[in-house]
Amino acid sequence: MARMKFLADAERCIECNGCVTACKQEHEIPWGVNRRRVVTLNDGVPGEKSISVACMHCSDAPCMAVCPVDCFYKTTEGVVLHDKDICIGCGYCFYACPFGAPQFPQDGAFGLRGKMDKCTFCAGGPEADHSAAEFKKYGRNRLAEGKLPACAEMCATKALLGGDADVIANIYRDRVLKRGKGSEIWGWGTAYGKPDKPAAQPGAKS
Amino acid sequence: MLLTRKSTSLIDKDGAAQGRLARSISGMLGRTIDRRAFLRRSGIALGAGAVASQLPFNIVDRAEAAQDAGGKTETRRTICTHCSVGCSIDAVVQNGVWIRQEPVFDSPINLGAHCAKGASIREHGMTHDSHRLKTPMKLAGGKWQKISWDQALDEVSKKMLEIKKASGPDATFWIGSSKHGNEQSYLFRKFVSMFGTNNMDHQARICHSTTVAGVANTWGYGAMTNSYNDEQNSKCVLFFGSNAAEAHPVSMLHTLHAKENGAKVIVVDPRFTRTAARADTYYRIRSGTDVAFLWGMLHHIFKNGWEDKDYIKARVYGMDKVREEVAKWTPEEVEKVTGMKEAEVRDVAEKMAKNKPSTIVWAMGQTQHTNGNAIVRASCILQLALGNVGKSGGGANIYRGHDNVQGATDIGPNPDSLPGYYGIAPGSWAHFARVWGVDLDWLKKQFASEAMMTKPGITVSRWQDAVMEKNENIDQDSNLRAVVFWGHAPNSQNRGKEMVEAMKKLDLLVVIDPYPSATAAMAAMVRQDGVYLLPAATQMETSGSVTASNRSIQWREKVVDPLFESRTDQMIMYQLAQKFGFAKEFTAKIKLSKGKGGMDEPDMEDTLREVNRGVWTIGYTGQSPERLQAHMRNMHVFDVKTLRAKGGKDAKTGYVLDGDYYGLPWPCFGNAAMKHPGSPNLYQTDRHVMDGGGNFRANFGVERDGVNLLAEDGSHSKGADLTTGYPEFDHVLLKKLGWWDDLTDDEKKLAEGKNWKTDLSGGIQRVVMKVHGCHPFGNAKARAVVWNFPDGVPLHREPLYSPRPDLIEKYPTHDDQKNRWRLPVLFKTVQQANKDAVKSYPLILTSGRLTEYEGGGDETRSNPWLAELQQEMFVEINPKDANDRGVRNNEYVWVQTPTKARLKVKTLVTERVASGTVFCPFHFAGHFEGRDLLDKYPEGAAPIVRGEAVNTATTYGYDIVTMMQETKTTLCQVVKA
Amino acid sequence: MRRVLMLAFAAALTWSVAGCGEKPMVTVYKQGQYQGKPDMQPWDGDPFKGDKNAWEKTVKARNLGQNEYVRISGGS
Repeated sequence: MARMKFLADAERCIECNGCVTACKQEHEIPWGVNRRRVVTLNDGVPGEKSISVACMHCSDAPCMAVCPVDCFYKTTEGVVLHDKDICIGCGYCFYACPFGAPQFPQDGAFGLRGKMDKCTFCAGGPEADHSAAEFKKYGRNRLAEGKLPACAEMCATKALLGGDADVIANIYRDRVLKRGKGSEIWGWGTAYGKPDKPAAQPGAKS
Repeated sequence: MLLTRKSTSLIDKDGAAQGRLARSISGMLGRTIDRRAFLRRSGIALGAGAVASQLPFNIVDRAEAAQDAGGKTETRRTICTHCSVGCSIDAVVQNGVWIRQEPVFDSPINLGAHCAKGASIREHGMTHDSHRLKTPMKLAGGKWQKISWDQALDEVSKKMLEIKKASGPDATFWIGSSKHGNEQSYLFRKFVSMFGTNNMDHQARICHSTTVAGVANTWGYGAMTNSYNDEQNSKCVLFFGSNAAEAHPVSMLHTLHAKENGAKVIVVDPRFTRTAARADTYYRIRSGTDVAFLWGMLHHIFKNGWEDKDYIKARVYGMDKVREEVAKWTPEEVEKVTGMKEAEVRDVAEKMAKNKPSTIVWAMGQTQHTNGNAIVRASCILQLALGNVGKSGGGANIYRGHDNVQGATDIGPNPDSLPGYYGIAPGSWAHFARVWGVDLDWLKKQFASEAMMTKPGITVSRWQDAVMEKNENIDQDSNLRAVVFWGHAPNSQNRGKEMVEAMKKLDLLVVIDPYPSATAAMAAMVRQDGVYLLPAATQMETSGSVTASNRSIQWREKVVDPLFESRTDQMIMYQLAQKFGFAKEFTAKIKLSKGKGGMDEPDMEDTLREVNRGVWTIGYTGQSPERLQAHMRNMHVFDVKTLRAKGGKDAKTGYVLDGDYYGLPWPCFGNAAMKHPGSPNLYQTDRHVMDGGGNFRANFGVERDGVNLLAEDGSHSKGADLTTGYPEFDHVLLKKLGWWDDLTDDEKKLAEGKNWKTDLSGGIQRVVMKVHGCHPFGNAKARAVVWNFPDGVPLHREPLYSPRPDLIEKYPTHDDQKNRWRLPVLFKTVQQANKDAVKSYPLILTSGRLTEYEGGGDETRSNPWLAELQQEMFVEINPKDANDRGVRNNEYVWVQTPTKARLKVKTLVTERVASGTVFCPFHFAGHFEGRDLLDKYPEGAAPIVRGEAVNTATTYGYDIVTMMQETKTTLCQVVKA
Repeated sequence: MRRVLMLAFAAALTWSVAGCGEKPMVTVYKQGQYQGKPDMQPWDGDPFKGDKNAWEKTVKARNLGQNEYVRISGGS
């Protein structure tokens, strides 16, 4: 069974924000809500690096752990989703998340205080797949169409990979071997914990 | 370190951005980051984002409506309109509504990838909250008033004809667009010609005119020699005057792939660009000293014997003259002028020389200078010296800007040429009269005189001078009285403040555009009436072909019908032609099809067929709509590195794709039946001409001062019957060689008395190429000395507004010119008058692109998904310069230039620029010297993000050959607001 | 207002959990406590209609689409 993950390759990311607008248009995300964003370190000086950050769909997700109403669930593919009908918009997941992924649209479909919104790995939510309700609350369900997240599929330089952890780790490892040098993957350890097998360890020289 | 350079702040109730530059954090935080710091800072930035989320989640309703409506979905394949890379897009349409966008993994050019602009292009299909120009409008009493199309066409055409009658056709100026498709551009040239003037131009003037002229005069064609894809074959890539990571983001897919496979990537730029951040090597240079750097490189190359001597001997004319000039550029002198150390220049030279094939990439960093033509030629000479031109992995990879700027340059509205670079000489007019199916005498009568018919028109860069200049100084009867902006942003041109004065003075100003554009706001700022806005459709609302930077031509399917009241450009041209009384001639050989509302418009496929029949010079003849469409349906058969099809047969038509290069990159000679595969890399001698091979063009005679200009013995394209240099082919040469009888009898009839460019049968090209393996344009040497230019050997000349007055005497600019492109142009007068400007304006002001926006930015700043990412105009300034001026990050400052214009912008304090240089992006408009022009746009059609246009303040300065504007090197002062 | 609420929650829960997501401090989440609606499997609806294998194959192909080396070396 596939275990869905994102991987952002800092050697390739050019901070073009293609992933950000791909996400915005695919899910019709309103101004001010950022399911995905590009983070740049050492901006404007040698060593400048960028990576694209969204919910990393952690194996051991802190948001799930701290949610006071237990609105989170994890799909068979390892995607962390939540039920907006249960969410009380408290923001505690936002404090727990190491990536700052949860977003809080303050007005909207659910009354004055916004429910939490975050990257769904383009897997919708707990409404019938492809239903209007699912789209309205969670956005498109690409996974149920046999497609992968729009951000990764449209990445300008294929820096952002999204899909089965084994497959993307393989893609990445091939690149690292080509480059002949290792590279750190931001947040990999935090998000995914120890890899299932050494082969899936990105950045490792094998 | 920073978390995001994009603002995440609120938008207020009016939707106006009150952005803050979130990059600002970079100045305050350290350069390294650990996980804990990362976590904490993520919290800071994202928290700001979270709190900022004031907008309701209500945009979902429109998409939901589309989804609930049900109905079959269709996928239409089109090409992104935001840069010249040519990324494919699969648009999913349901009930006429563009509901989704899917990546096209099969495209050999973008492999499904998109930048921020490409990934958000579906906004073009949105009607809800669109900032488009929705109906025709006129300015009446200083207010925008809705009018009908009939009224708009009546009034505009009536006024145009009045002006033509009173002051002649040359009193009008028609600014076309590099965003028009090929067919539209071609029709535009024809349309304005039939109106009777050469006063037309488009964005190429201000983006790559110096390249087109400089490069074509060096070796034949003024275009990118290789392709983005071909960089994968490079071992070293020098970005000199290009910030591809922001201007052509998807091209970096190929560059970074090459880098991963061992290619060295070097950036030399005044600014530590995002491209520089991804390169192996970065060196800083003083803006505007490009020739000095290139000669400095050649100094090392010649000194160490790294040049390709055999190649130079066989294929280059005049390198000895270059050596003489290069000898003057000792490492000391280079450092004095460019600020670059000997070791740095040598390092670049050595890497380029020892990692071959190596390529050079440039864009507006080289072209937009007062000596732009010299800079690009020096770059060509570097590549010639290294023997890199005509090699896979080598070449001059010149990144064009707009999606179809290459195509519009090739066959569109140029003031000095007809489609296909046929000069405006009588013979060319005769050729096109034949192609268009009109009487040559009728055509002549449309013009003021035959003299005006063969005189290059005014350039777009100088239209304001053609309005304001004293009449006795201009080389036509009347000053300009009417200007049509047909898809052009005024804020992309220098001297904005003076342009507003010119707008004020005009009798008639017409904007034909999907957006009102900054033209509308600037005009409404100073005028009460006499301005019309006509809503044009976007390229997503019509079909047609588009030429990417690498000369590949792709076919766009129409995604949706023209939205609002917009009409396609071809329909508007046709309807105006009806009003002007030449609709019949305009479409004499082109079928009409039914467009919006059942109204007639020229058929795009049929227009391309007319292009195929006429444009032999640059091989726009083999790309029939059928072939191009077969390529679009079968992208997967094309190899990514070579662009060549491996096998493949189109299921729909049975067309065999095998051997074609993707998009039949021009020149694709002969007619479609000859099945030339296109030319992926120009001048490549190790391939047969029928495999896309070639050699340098014989366009400048066969000898000069006793020196042979043709290629030397043994230098020819693979398999050529002629194994030495030869001139271009015409009926006489064919007969002399005994090849005439290879023509069929039908071909002979059309080819008699003609040459390879004017033979409408295509027989001469067929026989020369297919039967004898030769190149129709001959086989000559490239010219290191372009003797017909003011500086035959490129020279360094200090910018008009130089930060180094001490160098002006040694490296002065040109003398003033009395008449270039119908106008006087100043050089030394301006340079001398501003010799001391650096004392009051000590900072170099340069400009460039942001990923999120394109060109003047009217389209992209109106796209909410992009606008959110860049909410404010800014100036990048070094911490030292900021501190010396008592300004901090993210504060308002005035940027003032010697024109006395001033811009109110936010600071972005960063070491990206060196002390002494500041940078502004050029996509903004809508503010003018501190004032928001929101109320000057038609209601609901102002861009979401507005800001100062840097070009409001940029100074005078033009390239002597092409009238390219100087926007990359001028002077300014920054003071706290 | 939101901040106040967050602080209230933070106070109500163990302080050590509040700062960040470092492993030893994170409560281990146990499956089965989810309070919301059940979700479908991605292959349950259209277009796969329950054919899990077909779905997996499609996703895998799509996944490889992100690897330009496959396309560049002439693969599909």
